[in-house]
Order: sequence, then C-alpha cells, then structure tokens
Amino acid sequence: MTEQAELVYLDYAASTPVDPQVAEAMTALMTVTGNYANPSSTHAAGRRSVELITQAADQLAALINTEADRVIWTSGATESDNLAILGGAHYRQDRGRHLITMRTEHKAVTDPFSELERQGFEVTWLDPESNGVLDIAKLDAAMRDDTQLVSIMHVNNETGVVQDIRKIGAACRENDVLFHVDAAQSVGKLPIDLESCCVDLMSMTAHKVYGPKGIGALYIANRPGVHVDPLLYGGGQQRRLRPGTLPAQQIIAFGMAAEVARSRMNDDLEHLTAMRDRFWSGISDLPGVSLNGDIANGFPGILNVSVEDIEGESLLLALEPICVATGSACNSKSQEPSYVLRALGLSDKLAQSAIRFSFGRPTRVEEVDLAIELYRGAIGKLRQIAPERAT
Amino acid sequence: MSSDPYSARVRALFAAPAHAGCLDGALRTQIEDQGVRLRLSAELAGSDIRALRFQAWGCPHVIAAAEAFCESYEGRPVSALLEFSASDLMQSLSVPVEKTGRILIIEDAVRSLGSVLRDASKPDD
Repeated sequence: MTEQAELVYLDYAASTPVDPQVAEAMTALMTVTGNYANPSSTHAAGRRSVELITQAADQLAALINTEADRVIWTSGATESDNLAILGGAHYRQDRGRHLITMRTEHKAVTDPFSELERQGFEVTWLDPESNGVLDIAKLDAAMRDDTQLVSIMHVNNETGVVQDIRKIGAACRENDVLFHVDAAQSVGKLPIDLESCCVDLMSMTAHKVYGPKGIGALYIANRPGVHVDPLLYGGGQQRRLRPGTLPAQQIIAFGMAAEVARSRMNDDLEHLTAMRDRFWSGISDLPGVSLNGDIANGFPGILNVSVEDIEGESLLLALEPICVATGSACNSKSQEPSYVLRALGLSDKLAQSAIRFSFGRPTRVEEVDLAIELYRGAIGKLRQIAPERAT
Repeated sequence: MSSDPYSARVRALFAAPAHAGCLDGALRTQIEDQGVRLRLSAELAGSDIRALRFQAWGCPHVIAAAEAFCESYEGRPVSALLEFSASDLMQSLSVPVEKTGRILIIEDAVRSLGSVLRDASKPDD
C-alpha cells in the first residue's frame, strides 16, 4: 500500500479532487482527438472551442443564476480577488478612495487592500463578532460619501462562518457602493442567486468544487458603475478585462464541475452536515475543546476547533495520517497564530491549537470515526506528556 | 529537498517517547520559556544518572529532543550534564534553525538539572 493510500484527507477547504467525469472529459479535450484548438482562432476547430467555452459559461452561470456573459475567466480566486479589488478601486477612484473590508478575509483579499493603502486609498477594516459574523450595523456605520468598494467573503475559509451577503449587498446598493464577494468556499456548495442579491463582483474557483486547479472566474454585474480596470494587457480577449489565451480544457472542466455541483448540492449539503455533526459530537465532550465560529451560521463542510493547553504543531503531527490544516493552507507553514482566529478574540495559544477539519463529497463515516479516535488520542497523549505549569 | 519538516528520527521519537513521565521522589528541574514548558527528573546511582524522564509542552522537535536527551544520558555521569550542548541534538535531529531558541531551552534545563544533581550528590560537610 502506498503512503498516499493510507492518508485520510479532511482538508477539502484547501482543495478537492477533480470529479472523475470532469477529469475524464478534460483529459479527452487535451489530446489530438479532442478540442485543443485556440479559441481565438477563427477556423472550425477554434470555433468549436469557443462553443464549448460558451457552454461552460452557461453551466457556471446557471449555478449562480446569472447571465453567461457576466463571467470573466481567470486563473483562480486569488486573481479574481485582485482583479475585483484593485481593478474596482482603480476604476472608481475619481469618485472616492475609501474602501471597506473585514479583518477575517483571505490573504487574497487583505493583501490587495494593503497594496491599495500603500497607493493612498483609505481602508476600514471591520472586526467580526466573536462568532465570526459581521454585524451589519458596523458596516452601515463605516459607510462614507467617498466609499467605493466593500469586500466581504461569503464563507470563511478557516472557520466556515457564512456572512449574509444578501443583507450586506442591500446595504452597499443603498449607498451606491460596489460589493465584492470572495465566494471561493461557497460556489457550488451553498445556493447563490445573483439575480436576487446585490452582488456586483464575485470571485470563484474550480478546485474547491471538484474542478481542476488553475481556473477561476470573476462575475461582474451588468449595471451602471460596475466595472474593473484590467490588471493585464495584451490580446484583447474577454472584453480586454482579462486578456490571454483561454485555457479551454480547464474552463470546460470548471463548467462541468459547476453542473455536477448544481445537480447534487442538496445531497452534498446533507452529507457534509452529517459528517460535521458526527465529528463534533465525537469530540465536543473533551475538556477544553471549543468551536471557532458558529455552527448555526456555519457552512457544514468546515469545522474549526481549538483546545486549551495543547500545542498546535504537535497536535497536527499526532493526528497523522489525518490531513488537516492549522490555518488556511496558504499560510499554514507560518508559526504565527491565525489572524482570522485572533480577530475572533482567541488568545495566541488557543488560536495556535486550532485545527480546521473540512469534509467533502468523498468523506466516509469510517474516516470521520478515525479522526475522532486520533483527535481524542492525541489530546490525551499530549496532555499526559505536558508538565503542570510552575506555580 | 524534502518538504517534510520532520526527520524520520524526530517522527520516531515523537511517536514513542519512552522516557515521557516523571520519576516519583526524584530530583527535578522545570523551565518555561519561548512557549516551551519542560520538566526533567532524574534518579542517581552514586555519581551516575540511573534514570531520566521528561515532561514537555512544545512542538514535535522539542518533544523529540527531550526524548533523545533522556535516551542518551542515562548511565552517564552527572558531570556530563553540565557540559551538555544542544548543538548535537540540533544536528542529529535536523532541527530547523528557526527553532534554535526552543532547543536551547532544553540545554538550559539539562544544565540546571546537572547543577541540582551535583549539589545533591555532594557529601555533607
């Protein structure tokens, strides 16, 4: 048995496997008998690629209830976030240079905002409540005449906390402010209806929803004042907003993954809820264990748990072969406690002990039970090894 | 280059720390610093160390290093503790340089234990 086969993967918030039928279709496209032509080419093979890309846009648009021509393909959610935030702020900077976001956003959002601060924009960083949820009154209070852009993620990548994008969008629309949503963790997992939400810009990625890595999308609403300045130049593709040869096979795979997600979203949610609830009921009686975030306002695929007086790095190693995360995967090599959990009011030590368990479509009951067993065992072992504090 | 932050030796020592625990009625020392809590206890046989145990709150490298220390110093003279240097442990366990401070806590604790044992093994005046 290979090492890979022995691993128990509970890190689906970091990435998911490609759905088998999506992978098969994608692979077939790339070979000589597939549709590998450059969609910018005007010949028949190029036109066929365009047709397939159009179909993928239809599939993604159907998932989020919008028009296919509102979708701009990118390399992933990080690029989408950068395009929305930098591009949106630059496009509207003549109207004002005040922006609003939260301290608990992903680095793909906070870093562009920090860059805008360096460029002279003013950013209001909102703190969440202790359960991770944004109090809309704080957003209302932060709005100013010169506010141009608000960026709030839908599902937090570390805690799974779900923000009410409908209410936030309404507050933004009332103030004629662009509203960007990082939906990397929610597209294809939670229902999103853009026709009934005041969302202007929304970032998406394929690899969190059983599609391939390297492909994402940015939704741009069709309403006056909603536009972004491009980050890249050359080629003129995608209305010059994001030029470059379109990676047809990845786009088509994203479209297929979106269609699969749409068709089985209810089943997926039911399964994830069962896995999360089973895991939480298996560990929540342990002394000192606490949940970071809020189950009532949480996406069921993510459970973030801290435990008192346990060293996080040792806990992570003791949990092997369970694959989980201590922070978001993008910064999990850092020894620093998660800034997201610190913003929720956790102490450095409690934040440092936090483990994010994230469940997925392939997660089995046996895997959850093994995770419960290993987590309980690891806590017991590390507590047994640890000396009492000196008095 | 391996992406595994832990050497095979660290993994083995962390998985089965045979010297984890505390010796009843033994001489002991405890240090808390740099986010590490370490307690060492020892039993003497004359001027030699008969048994060593550790308790640790820290990262896997700290736990592995404490176990490696106990494993290799049982049966040695107390005077060896006073000359203990963490650099050998750093090298043999491939501890990343950014964790030097934590491993030096072990050096402090070992030397402190050495002083306690030396004082205890001195004949009464």
